[in-house]
Amino acid sequence: MQVWTKLFAKSPFKPLIKHSEVVLNTVETLEKALQRWYDGDYEEMRKIAVEVDRLEDVADRIKEEIRDSLSSKLMMAVAREDVLIYLHMQDKVADAAEDTAKWLLIREPGELPVEVKEVILQMGMESIKAAKLVHEAIVQMDRVIESGFADGEISKEYEIIRQIESVENKIDGLDTKLMQLVFENTEKMSWGDGFYILNIARTLSNISDKAKDAAERIRLMMNK
Amino acid sequence: MAVEVWLLITVILGFAMAWAIGANDAANSMSTAVGAKAITPKQAVIIAGLLEFTGAYFFGKSVTETIRKGILDPTMITDPNVLIYGSVAALLAATLWLVIATKFGLPVSTTHSIIGGIAGYGIVYAGTAIVNWGKMTQVVLSWILSPIVGAIMAYFIFKALTKSIFERKDPVRSARIWSPFWIGLAFVVIGTMFYIKVLHGKDLKTGVFMYGVPLGIVVFFVTYVLIKLRFPSSDPFIGVEAIFRKVQVITSGYVALAHGANDVANAIGPVAAVYAVATMGLSGMQVPVPKWILALGGLGIAVGVATYGYRVMETVGKKITELTNTRGFTIDFSAATVVLVASWMGLPISTTHTVVGAVIGVGLARGVKAINKNIVRDIIISWFITVPVAGLISAAIFKFLMIVG
Repeated sequence: MQVWTKLFAKSPFKPLIKHSEVVLNTVETLEKALQRWYDGDYEEMRKIAVEVDRLEDVADRIKEEIRDSLSSKLMMAVAREDVLIYLHMQDKVADAAEDTAKWLLIREPGELPVEVKEVILQMGMESIKAAKLVHEAIVQMDRVIESGFADGEISKEYEIIRQIESVENKIDGLDTKLMQLVFENTEKMSWGDGFYILNIARTLSNISDKAKDAAERIRLMMNK
Repeated sequence: MAVEVWLLITVILGFAMAWAIGANDAANSMSTAVGAKAITPKQAVIIAGLLEFTGAYFFGKSVTETIRKGILDPTMITDPNVLIYGSVAALLAATLWLVIATKFGLPVSTTHSIIGGIAGYGIVYAGTAIVNWGKMTQVVLSWILSPIVGAIMAYFIFKALTKSIFERKDPVRSARIWSPFWIGLAFVVIGTMFYIKVLHGKDLKTGVFMYGVPLGIVVFFVTYVLIKLRFPSSDPFIGVEAIFRKVQVITSGYVALAHGANDVANAIGPVAAVYAVATMGLSGMQVPVPKWILALGGLGIAVGVATYGYRVMETVGKKITELTNTRGFTIDFSAATVVLVASWMGLPISTTHTVVGAVIGVGLARGVKAINKNIVRDIIISWFITVPVAGLISAAIFKFLMIVG
């Protein structure tokens, strides 16, 4: 009667943390690519951007594994749907990073005004913050469960979620600023340059958007 | 065949059944501790072997009496052969059903099997009137209630444990005070049970206030001083887990003891019945269970733990990695308390199901990250099928023996 070995199912949280590590890694690598892009070292940038693509693949595979193991036959400390949607959003963060990398690979920029490039670089740095915070949030969620949903740990979690929201706000601001800059500089840039830069900005702000959605799901996990 | 030969056969069957209980069930009693890495599988085998024996030998008597003469009305059995064949049939049926169920991975209870077996032969012999339905209802109710009570208890103990320690402003400080409190509380129950089971006290109040509470207070202060001198860490989580890791060795020992006390009866209840017939004839219904039979059961369980339980514990240790020490403590404490109280009342209940109930309780308190619902469903199904199936097998064997014998 070895009930024990079967009664406990594998917790999804350790794999979720592993997934978020890879996501964070993807965003960090993207930021490195943006740095090269800013410096004009396009050859190095391409190598790094390809690495972003590879890391996104790794994240995808972990995501599939978690999905397969999360059957409805589990009784979990948090709702299964929340975990699955959370995972989806966390994965979208890496997807958005990969989208940015694609835009970087698609063409070399012409002579862009330096203030435009600076805003892009800033957005890249902020998106790392968002990804880092998502990682912190899921590690903290594990802790919340570990503590039996102790108030202290829950309020720490809320604090991380608030920070994610504020980073998202900041990136939104940068996004708007960039749009203005692009239209202010219409003489200095071609139509293609503008299209290119606005798409990079859009994908970058997507990173924090998805991070915010993920945080939203964590909030729901705590309010079962 | 002579009665003595039949006695020998039941002794062998009873020992085999005790061995099976030790090999499979007993491992469950130490599993939380092994899973939470409080002890190694090897240590678990030694502790479980010793305590299962102790539980069976010192505390196993009242449940054994229930199995021996509580299920069937003894006045309705006029032929001594019936008791002998019936006991053999019940033992064989329970063992057979256990083997079949294990093959299909069904977590069936040895307790349910043996009671089904006894009721099965009784009904074939004298119809449903022979079954002591009052007692039977009580027993079946206790199977349903004990996991539920275990779950409710574990739920609240876990909630209270986390509320008193992890939710405080200064968790390290509250851990220093509250950990000894919870440990002390576990010992209140242990002390009370010592009075009732070892000293055969009758008054629960005396047990609680003369033995349980004083022991709990002593343990509280000892633990308090030990923790005060050296709290294992500045991080309350690590610190509290480290404290409960040590305590868990004691609480899972407590489960092993309770398990031995309750489950030994499954193997030796029928043996005791045949022994009574062999020594005194049918008037032997009055003969108390001799100590050597309890020892035989205890030994069988201990041997089962030592020879096969080791393998079970090793797999368990590797597979339950999601269990922390505070959760293990909660499960042990709740389950052992329910099982001991039940065995004090002479109710044979399923240890495994009570432990599973406690696990679910901690899960409902959102303490365990993921529980396999399918297994829970299997267990519940096994409650319903074990008794009739074991009953049918036992009835068939009994019929056969009556014709042949």
